[in-house]
Amino acid sequence: MAAVRLSEAEKVYIIHGVRDDLRLDGRGCEDYRHMEIETDVVSNTDGSAKISLGHTDVLVGIKAEIGKPKPMVPNEGYLEFFVDCSANATPEFEGRGGEDLGVELSNTLYKAFNNRRSVDLRSLCISPGEHCWVLYVDVLLLQCDGNLFDAMSIAIKAALFNTRISKVQISEDDEGGKEIELSDDPYDCMRLNVENVPCIVTLCKIGHRHVVDATLQEKACSLASVLISVTHRGTVTCVRKMGRGSLDPESIFEMTEAGKRVGKSLHAPLMQLLQEEESLGKKRQKVGFLG
Amino acid sequence: MPFDTKRIRGPEESQSPLLFLSPDKVPESSSRQGVRGNGDVRPVFARCGLISQAKGSAYLEAGNTKIICSVYGPKETERKDETDMKTGRLVCDFRLAPFSCLKRGAWIQGSEERDLSAALLESLQPGVCLHKYPRSQIEVNVMVLENDGSILAHAITCASMALADGGIEMYDVVLGCALRQNGDSCLVDPSYTEECGNWQAGYGENQGCVTLALLPNLNQVSGLNAEGEMREDSLTDAVRTCMDGCHKLYPVYQQALIRAVKKKAPPPEK
Repeated sequence: MAAVRLSEAEKVYIIHGVRDDLRLDGRGCEDYRHMEIETDVVSNTDGSAKISLGHTDVLVGIKAEIGKPKPMVPNEGYLEFFVDCSANATPEFEGRGGEDLGVELSNTLYKAFNNRRSVDLRSLCISPGEHCWVLYVDVLLLQCDGNLFDAMSIAIKAALFNTRISKVQISEDDEGGKEIELSDDPYDCMRLNVENVPCIVTLCKIGHRHVVDATLQEKACSLASVLISVTHRGTVTCVRKMGRGSLDPESIFEMTEAGKRVGKSLHAPLMQLLQEEESLGKKRQKVGFLG
Repeated sequence: MPFDTKRIRGPEESQSPLLFLSPDKVPESSSRQGVRGNGDVRPVFARCGLISQAKGSAYLEAGNTKIICSVYGPKETERKDETDMKTGRLVCDFRLAPFSCLKRGAWIQGSEERDLSAALLESLQPGVCLHKYPRSQIEVNVMVLENDGSILAHAITCASMALADGGIEMYDVVLGCALRQNGDSCLVDPSYTEECGNWQAGYGENQGCVTLALLPNLNQVSGLNAEGEMREDSLTDAVRTCMDGCHKLYPVYQQALIRAVKKKAPPPEK
């Protein structure tokens, strides 16, 4: 992650503030920064979303392609994640610098999203064993100011909600080969059910307390953090401890409890916002990148 | 290596014959058939000091899982940034031998191996006194010879034993333990078939795997990796069970380390 260098005095200031439930920008320990989400920003994709969480900007594009299902699970489609840390975010990511971070982010996304109950993979099957939909989820980091995982997961959920997959029919032709027919109506598509898609919450341990949505300065004061991926029902799909320090088991339990609470409360407002944006339909004014 | 154009090569795409197994022939992974209970870890064989060229090395066998680890260093660090001036760097490399799993793996490090290397690094770092090795790096190479479940957990233990054998200063040994949550029951130290579970059962409630790394004397958790969908209370119970599992095997690893130290520097004859 791009790092900022802090002096000892600044670190002590942040730690003491967090102890009193007051962070640098006046937030409480469990408050998120101002978040703006917009879907359908890129027209060439099947689904896209852009999120800006404070100064962190993430753009997600989803493309659906027809592929062969994995041999062990012939009646399911799958998702492929790729995270690109572009040099736009910080100069450290130039060339292959961002590759390590990108691989770490993609691997965590696989763990959090690629289990059977998040997205109904069976609905992505076209004909078992032969054709299925493969959703390529490509995440682009435009600006990096801490808390990448949370921003990415919310953007992915919004983009999956926005994804429209065309309905396809497989028919046998004369020689026995399969022919794929796309329906003529461009608006005849399948939508995904994103109720069960989880959201990732990262909690950083600063001093004796934990903090949600840490900025880069706060991250520099924390030695260990716990990443927890929560669904709207409160079940947990992925937990990871990250960072160079160790954690007391009691802290871990406390942080998972807090993460579950915060994560669960993210889903309802998000779905409501996405439904509202969808209901505006064609009349919606697109803000895009210049807003 | 250039391809031999005159050789008749087989089909482009090859598949493992195991895919063609009929479902009723797949072994049931429901019970442990009385050999050990749900909360019991597999008996472990641990030995240090196997690789003569390495600074420290360890070999661990748990059931059919076989892991070997070697430690090189401290040596001068390749990349020099400011943080390296004050503390040392730990470099971990986790590899699975191509013949270790049911399906043949590739020699090039895949994304799963890189992920496991990162998890291993995160778990070991809190245990090593890196501030005593400024401007140096310590290399830890783990190779899994046979994968029969819980490889990350046993690799963490193996690596920390190798570090101790190599004389690297540490706060405490780092022990790893894995658990598989299957509905309402949990299986400690799962074997490969138990870890993958029944593919049908993947749609059930509360299925997941937890791997924990613990510093037993300090009672600090240095690594936690959980995947699969679980309720929060199952997760907390799983973490507690893993901690107990680590404590159960601690005497075995202590014995192995004492034996290695006695061999390297035998006590004076009376």
